[in-house]
Amino acid sequence: MTEFAAVYYDGRTSARTPVRVRRYALAIQIVAEGLRLDVPLAKVRVDPPVGGTRRLLHLPDGAQLQTDDDAAVEALFPSTRAFEGWIHLIERRWPYALAGVAVVAAFAWWCIVDGLPRAAKLAAAYVPTAAEAELGEQTLSFVDGKLCHPSKLPAARQEALKGLLARLAAGLDDGHAYRLLPRDCGAIGANAFALPGGPIVITDALVKLARNDDQISAVLAHEIGHVRNRHGLRLALQAAGLAALATALFGDATSITGLVTTLPVAILQNGYSRDLEAEADDYAFQRLKEVRISPKAFADILLLMEKNRARSPGSEAKDYLSTHPATAKRIERALAAR
Amino acid sequence: MEQPSTAQAPAGASAERRYPVEFTARTGEYFRIWIVNLALSVVTLGIYSAWAKVRKRRYFYGHTRINGEGLEYRANPVAILKGRIIAFAAIAVYYAAGHFAPQYQLLLLVPLAIFGPWLLVRSLGFNAYNTAYRNVRFRFDGTYNGCLKIVLLFGWLTFTGILYPYFKHRLVRFVAENHRYGTTRFEVADFKKPFIGAYASAYGFALLLLAFFVASIFMMGRTRTPVLFFLAIVCFYGGLFVIFAYLRARTVNAIWNAVRIGPLRFESALSAGELIQVYLGNLLAIAFTLGLATPWAVVRSMRYRASKTTVVASGPLDGFAQAEAQHVSVAGEEVADFFDIDIAL
Repeated sequence: MTEFAAVYYDGRTSARTPVRVRRYALAIQIVAEGLRLDVPLAKVRVDPPVGGTRRLLHLPDGAQLQTDDDAAVEALFPSTRAFEGWIHLIERRWPYALAGVAVVAAFAWWCIVDGLPRAAKLAAAYVPTAAEAELGEQTLSFVDGKLCHPSKLPAARQEALKGLLARLAAGLDDGHAYRLLPRDCGAIGANAFALPGGPIVITDALVKLARNDDQISAVLAHEIGHVRNRHGLRLALQAAGLAALATALFGDATSITGLVTTLPVAILQNGYSRDLEAEADDYAFQRLKEVRISPKAFADILLLMEKNRARSPGSEAKDYLSTHPATAKRIERALAAR
Repeated sequence: MEQPSTAQAPAGASAERRYPVEFTARTGEYFRIWIVNLALSVVTLGIYSAWAKVRKRRYFYGHTRINGEGLEYRANPVAILKGRIIAFAAIAVYYAAGHFAPQYQLLLLVPLAIFGPWLLVRSLGFNAYNTAYRNVRFRFDGTYNGCLKIVLLFGWLTFTGILYPYFKHRLVRFVAENHRYGTTRFEVADFKKPFIGAYASAYGFALLLLAFFVASIFMMGRTRTPVLFFLAIVCFYGGLFVIFAYLRARTVNAIWNAVRIGPLRFESALSAGELIQVYLGNLLAIAFTLGLATPWAVVRSMRYRASKTTVVASGPLDGFAQAEAQHVSVAGEEVADFFDIDIAL
């Protein structure tokens, strides 16, 4: 017969009564001065154990027993038979914890590398192009005035540039309204970027940097690749997914995790955009060949842009490409696509 | 351990007994619980996460002890799972609306103003009902109407910025006043002064920070040194961090020092400086371990909080009566969790 010490609460008040609990065949007996209570074992509901906390036994009518005698409770009501008792067993052993680390790390890794980009691509298919265009217009109104100003190129030149885009976008029929927006954006130098839905901004500096129109066409084809594959939207979706993932995995340490995740998210976004660049490059090579422009033009303009960037103040001029293998690789791919 | 019945004498310094809150959780133990439950949640595609939540809470509640006796968390995981499913649907709608129709973002405030109080009341009700100490449950009986009235009367102060602390103070008071331990109501003394004072100091500091930031940007434009820009950014984020920790310490102290439950009152003595250290350590540890230090950080924050909290009793802990049973829904608690409605209690 086992007997153990516990504290009894009658369920009506917070008064505590230290008691002895005795076990009989089909019942437990709770004994203290002026108290003798028999409770059938079947009427006792035992909370599954959780690491080092006091064991709780719920009795009929809201009464309760609390005890530190884990062994006695286990002898009476073996928790291993219950689902959470089994969990408790795993929680107590380090090898399982290490396995847990492996599972979580593998899952996080898979999400980042494969799952999120895939999910974003799938989800993007459900976003109507009109909503995407709205997103693009909003970004544009932010860019205009703050970052960029109307182009200072002659009107005839601007028309010619629009003609280049029209030639590339002719017959694509993918629901996007491609239009060229020449802009003078001092801070970002020779550059071009596409906004969701079709607006493509090209800076005066880039137009002046290019040696011929084919090089500009090459850049525009790349930007069409971004729009066509809905990269802006997908990046936004991936960012939302990353934040949700970080909260789901590490959200316990509330309030500070927001700050912690900012940096890794920024780094990962950088990695994502590299993948998307490659995707846009591939599209550009294919489209250029369709309109009979050599992808070499793309390699040429990339090289020009890199050299130009290397000369700008604040960065080192020497051998830029060796420190930026990503660009070197893109040039290589363009040359190989010829 | 148990105080003598003579302590029932009228409240006075001599009859008071002090019970420092003990926190007996251990980092290694919690790490295993955390990672095993997280891994199981992943493997079951999130279904197990309801059980994970209950186990983690039960661990922390059980290890938070007053006079040697732990708190108890009684929520049913199945109820939480149902709540999560509802929450998930609501969040999907919210995000979709925010993401793809941002022009309607302001319109979303209308359902939030109507739905928000409901969430708050439900979630507090669920949490209180499922929390017990010495086998007596807590309760929350604030009503939807009461909460809605505060939101409608004072919610707009949020947009003035400077008057927001008054709204927050009204909300916190509503939350605190409507809690019960068994049948005993929480009484809340006036904490307006220290609470709003904390915000006033924080606002002052924020203004200084902003001035500093603008000045350094201006200086940078003149001297063209990017190092200065980097420094300014670091200082800015560091400053926000300090403000956050300061506000947290002061407001928590202000609230808890004003609460009485029958013969019990609380002493909360969080120090802003110490809290900054705790948060900063947590932040760095989590960042450098790619999240693995999360359990360490959680245990550390809770241990600090407990170490600065004392329950002062001018009467016995024995005399609290259980209230009648009541039905409480879980949906509110889960949705509120997702939207991160923090009421600092």
